[in-house]
Formats: sequence, structure tokens, C-alpha cells
Amino acid sequence: MAPHPPLPPPIAAQLNHLLAYSPLPFKVEQMWSGCRNGRYSDRFTLLIPFCLDYIKWDVIFSAYHPSAVPDFIFSAEDVDFNPLLEAHEREAGANGLAVVSPLVDWNYKDPSRLLNLICHLRDSYVSYQKKKAEQVDDERMRFEISTVLARKGTEIFVGSFPDGDEVKFSIPIPDLEFNKLVTPCPWKQEQKIYLQASFVVAKGYATTAPVPRLKLVSTQDLKPFLNVDDIKLIPWSDEMCMLTYLSDLEVRLNDQVVEAVAGVAKRRRFIEALSPFFGRPVEADPVFCRRASVLGISGVFTFLVHFSIPLQFPIKQPTLKLESVQHFNLNGLPIVSSPINDYPWSPRWDNAEMAERIYDFLVDECLNFKKYCSEKIPTTQ
Amino acid sequence: MEGGSSDAPISTPSHQAATAPSPPPPPYSLPPSLFMPEDILFCIDIGPESLTEMRVSGPKGRGVTRLDAIKQALLLFAHSKLNMCTDHRFSFSSLGKSFSWVKREFSNDIKSVTEAVRYLTIPEAPVEGTDITKLFEFANFEARRSHAQGRLFRVVLIYCRSSALPKHRWPVNQKTFTMDVMYLHDKPGPDNCPQKVYDALVDAVEHVSQYEGYVFEIGQGMTRVLFRHVCVLLAHPTQRCMQDDFDVPKAIVKRVPPGGGEGTQSDDSMIIST
Repeated sequence: MAPHPPLPPPIAAQLNHLLAYSPLPFKVEQMWSGCRNGRYSDRFTLLIPFCLDYIKWDVIFSAYHPSAVPDFIFSAEDVDFNPLLEAHEREAGANGLAVVSPLVDWNYKDPSRLLNLICHLRDSYVSYQKKKAEQVDDERMRFEISTVLARKGTEIFVGSFPDGDEVKFSIPIPDLEFNKLVTPCPWKQEQKIYLQASFVVAKGYATTAPVPRLKLVSTQDLKPFLNVDDIKLIPWSDEMCMLTYLSDLEVRLNDQVVEAVAGVAKRRRFIEALSPFFGRPVEADPVFCRRASVLGISGVFTFLVHFSIPLQFPIKQPTLKLESVQHFNLNGLPIVSSPINDYPWSPRWDNAEMAERIYDFLVDECLNFKKYCSEKIPTTQ
Repeated sequence: MEGGSSDAPISTPSHQAATAPSPPPPPYSLPPSLFMPEDILFCIDIGPESLTEMRVSGPKGRGVTRLDAIKQALLLFAHSKLNMCTDHRFSFSSLGKSFSWVKREFSNDIKSVTEAVRYLTIPEAPVEGTDITKLFEFANFEARRSHAQGRLFRVVLIYCRSSALPKHRWPVNQKTFTMDVMYLHDKPGPDNCPQKVYDALVDAVEHVSQYEGYVFEIGQGMTRVLFRHVCVLLAHPTQRCMQDDFDVPKAIVKRVPPGGGEGTQSDDSMIIST
């Protein structure tokens, strides 16, 4: 973010509360002052997660009136999105009041008000996009939309272009329950996998059903446990519809999750098998078992070996990195080898044999590394 | 001990152990648990004895001061620890006449760590104050904050005095952090008492530490021995065993296959040390 003056305390309190307590990962893209050379910033662009992407809304406070309720500028593409105006014009129904009331009795002393308001507006936006989707000019597409929208947590985004509409779905895969699978649970937030499906609905009469672009997306913290990029999606075929595709996908993902849990156990046993050869690891990852480091010595040359264990272990072998304990570069930092993963390996070996073979490989490799370190520094230490 | 250290080494607890053999330690296991990244507070002795020279290599090797070797060891430690997990953080303090902050804010940025380490210097008229109560008070205070963030707190004290015993008034059973000590000292002689200092350091570690704290000592040894010990201190406190059972660094050298046919090797020796 470009440098900017600070927010006045009441406004800062609202933003800080939002960033600390929101259930979704909001971000601030930029912040600035409404006045030229203003002492305080009072406006910022908020990136709001929606449909596995972000929408940008400008939140407009006033540094001269920090207790006043903020105004909002929504995206230019969403010209029809007027939740505040509609709420005002609509007769006071339950929905209308829910949006208006945070504005009407805005209390700047309560730091949770901005988060509350943004969440309400976001809910309105979700409904707005759903209504847009229901008006897409393609019967097949409307069928898909209606079946998918029935699933809890689905979000839909409709982008309008001169040639047609792009309809994007973000569909959470239910019942994967990651937070219960790993004990003790290392995740503070619920981990999820989503199917992102994008359909292009061309204007005019379509002869064939639209074919979606499909992608799996997960929450960021899931990656050390399960990487959705490694999961190959079944290609879409003409006979398919979203519901059947999703149903097959759920079965496949459940299998992947079972494999991921087994994978943690396999890696854990491997790390434990290192100890008879390499001594007790100095530090290892006890949650997902993706790394371990050991301290070895050859003659008077002491070095660390860092093991990085891939999710596809044992089909893919661990990557090793050697770090000298006694050779330092010009910045005073220890010399580290480049990653090594071309040593002899077979996934069919048992853990003890894997550890033994790595040990035998390192007997010579550490001497090569020692030579490399000595050559890198002009004077030996 | 490796060549270069004092001729009459001070005895560590393992040497003083009773004659009855203790049962073998349980094999290493890595049970599922939460991982706590560490906040590590270094406290470095900047008394006059930190100016004593250590050898870099060989009997004719050039000398560096203890402080310079310590500074290199700190960079080694931080870099290696961050290579294992980028979430560990470090802060720095010194012990001269009394405890003093060098960099109180914890950081996992190696550049900022390098800067803080470079900042360590011995004052013009260095004085040896030995009260480490303030160190414990600050550690205890910071530890509570670390725990609230799901982090583990550790103190690593680097002490260089051959006659001045560390003193403290820390209450019993207040163990909110773990302490390790790296003790650099002169050869034991009539004018000093490194053994007493060492024993006092061991007592202090046992008194304050939440988990197993480690104590290493080095006489007039070479810097690479210091670096080796410092790397053992990399061990995460929640994954440690007793210091005497910690079998590192392990020799990674050519093994003799068991039962070597024509029997030139004894059955016991499976590892040849170079």
C-alpha cells in the first residue's frame, strides 16, 4: 500500500475491528485522505471476498466528522446495486430495516458497526447477483443455476459483456470437515474446498449447452495437508450437468481426503525412522509431518540436513538441503546447498531402508558439500 | 571433548553421574501435537571476558574474540532456525553491568536480526554485573504475551565469566519459559572457578525452565565447537529429550556391513569414524 496519513482513532477502531474479527479475509487495497494534504486518511478501498474473487468497494468516512456514518462507492459494473437506496425506498420490511438500521443508528463508539454493516451489504450483494443470474437469457443455464443455488453457501457472479454473459459459481464442497480430521486441529478457521465453475453464455440462440471452465480452490491453510492443484478434475462431457458433476466430485474428494490423512501418518513414520541413523531430529513438524532437520558430523565437519517431505510421499522422494555449521558467506550467513532430490529412491522400500539409503548417499554427498563450501569462501574457517 | 578445549575440563552432569547405569532412553517418536513457533530471547554477555580470544582453526589459527564468535553463532542459529520454520522470531539483550535490551521487538527477518547482532558491542569500560533477575522478569513478561499467541518462549543466555557466578532471586515454580546456556570460560586454575559458575548456571536453568533446558560449556576451544553446540540448541524445547540422551551430531560416515564375512571387523564396530 502506498504511504498515507493515519486514520483518526474512531475510524481506525472500526477498520481494525473489521480486519481482526471478520469471518472472511477482507483486505485494504489503498487508503487516502479526502482533502489534499489532509492530516488524516478517511477513505479506503476494501477488497471483499466474493465468489472466490474480490469485489472492491470504497468506504468513505470524513476526517472532519469521524463520528458520522460512512458512505460507500460500489463497483462501477454494479450500477443496479443500490442496497442503501432500495432499503430507504422500500416499505419497511424485515430485510429493508436490517440494512438501513446500521446506518440510521450508527454508533461510532461501537467498533463492530463497520463490520456489521459491510456483512449486511455483502449479503445484499449476494442476493443481487442471484437475481441477475435468474435473468440470464438461456434456459439451460437457468436450470443449472437453480439447481446449484439450492446448495448452501453457493455464490454466483454474473458478468455482462457485449457478446454475452459470464456466469461464475463458487460452490463449497460439503461434509469434508477438515477441522475434525486432523487432531489436534491446527486451524483456527474452517478449511474448505470449493468448485469454481465459469460458464460463458453467448448471446443469441445456443445450439449446444455451455461448457464450463472448472477449477478447485481451497482455503490457503489447507495446502500443507492437501493441495487441490494436484487433484485432476474429470473433464466435462455433454451429458453432464452441475449436480451430477458435483456428486461425482464429492466422492472423489472424500477419497483424496482419506488419502491425505493416511499421508500424514506415512510421513510421521518416516521421520521417526530417521532417528536410528541421523540421531534425534533437532526439529520436526508434528502436525502435517512435512519437514524434519537433523544435525550430522563427518570428521570435524558439522552440518544440518533439512528434509522437506512432499504430499506425494513416498511416490515422490523428500528433498534434502544441507547447511554448513562452519562456512559462512559474505553476509555472515551459513552456506546452504541447492535442493537435492535426485538421490537413489524407491517408494517400495520400507521406512528403515529409505533412511538407510539416504544416510549412505549423504556419506559422500556431505563431503562434496564440504568441498563446495570451502571453495565458496576464500579462507577456510 | 574435541581437541582444543582445556586440559582439565570441567565436569558436566553426565560425568558426575552415579555409577549405576540408567535405562536406555525411549526411541524417538513424533506424536501428533500442535506446533508452537518460538520467540527466542538471546542474552549476550558483554562483560570484559567476552573480549578473550578464541581460535578459529588449528593450533596456529587466527583468533577472534568470544563476542565475535558469538555474533557469528547467533547468525548461524537464526538462519538455521528460520530454514526450519519461518515463523520463529528472535530478540536480543545484553548482560553487562546489568540486563539491557538491544532489540526488544521480536523479528523473523534475517536482515533485522543481522543488524541487531552487529549492534552488540562491549562498552569502553566493561563491568561484570551478575544479577540475572531482570532477565527472568522480562522473559516472564514477554512469555505471557507469546503464550497468548500460541508461541513458545525461550531464553538463550551466553555467559563468558570464569569467576563470577550468576545470581538471581527468582521464585520457585514460576516456569513460564525455558532457558538454555552457552558458557564460554577460561581453563580452570587457582584464580578462577569455572566449575562453580557452570554448576550455578545448571541450577539456574533447572530452576526456571518450563521444558528441558540445555547447558553447554566450552573452554579455550575452537569456534567450530561453539557453532556445533549452538546448533544442538536449535532443538525445539517441546521435542527435546534429556541432554545426555540427545545423540547429536550423529556421525554420517561409511558404515561397515554387519557380519562382515571374513571377519576383519569386530561385531560391535559398525561405524568407522574418520
